Amino acid sequence: MVYITSWDEFVERSVQLFRADPDSTRYVMKYRNCDGKLVLKVTDNRECLKFKTDQAQDAKKMEKLNNIFFTLMARGPDADVSEVTGKEPMDAQPTKKGRGRKQ
Amino acid sequence: MVLLQLDPFLNELTSMFEHTTEKGSVWVTLKRSSLKSKLQRNKMANGGQTEYRCLIRATDGKKTISTSVGAKDHQRFQASYATILKAHMTALKKRERKDKKKAAVNDKKEGVAKKPKRA
Repeated sequence: MVYITSWDEFVERSVQLFRADPDSTRYVMKYRNCDGKLVLKVTDNRECLKFKTDQAQDAKKMEKLNNIFFTLMARGPDADVSEVTGKEPMDAQPTKKGRGRKQ
Repeated sequence: MVLLQLDPFLNELTSMFEHTTEKGSVWVTLKRSSLKSKLQRNKMANGGQTEYRCLIRATDGKKTISTSVGAKDHQRFQASYATILKAHMTALKKRERKDKKKAAVNDKKEGVAKKPKRA
């Protein structure tokens, strides 16, 4: 099993793996509260990438990765994925600024 | 394998996390799948409509639940899912910067002390 030590490398390679074969790539998460461990796995049944941690800060990073995968899977692999969470709000703000009556 | 609607799935997922607090694991798998047979998929591909759905499965080793999320529901599901995870992943260690700094300072002091002794 290939355990990757760098979070950023794990994210980049998993997204590449998914874009290369969206129909067979899957993302698995295993959480054990009793051991306080979290393990993430991304595989296309040929190559396997894993990441394990016991750090709370990695749970936050994993949430962002979850969002990326949800967007890719639900909207199609060519969907525009911004790794920063400010994707939808950016579209909404310009329209709000246009009105400005409450000022 | 139980296929549920979005909200019952989230409720079941929450109860799984609660049951495995002392012992056991929770596995959650995400995969793109339109959940249709080859014939239907070929028809859809020829027609030019490709519907993307995300299959989400969760198990605690004994029971398995699943749900399918499309583009319309995925935002809502994403938010609820994130909330559940944040609420339950309490056993992970919080990295305390103060401890790290102290450890780094101690290591440096030991390093400096060792050198003169060897000489």
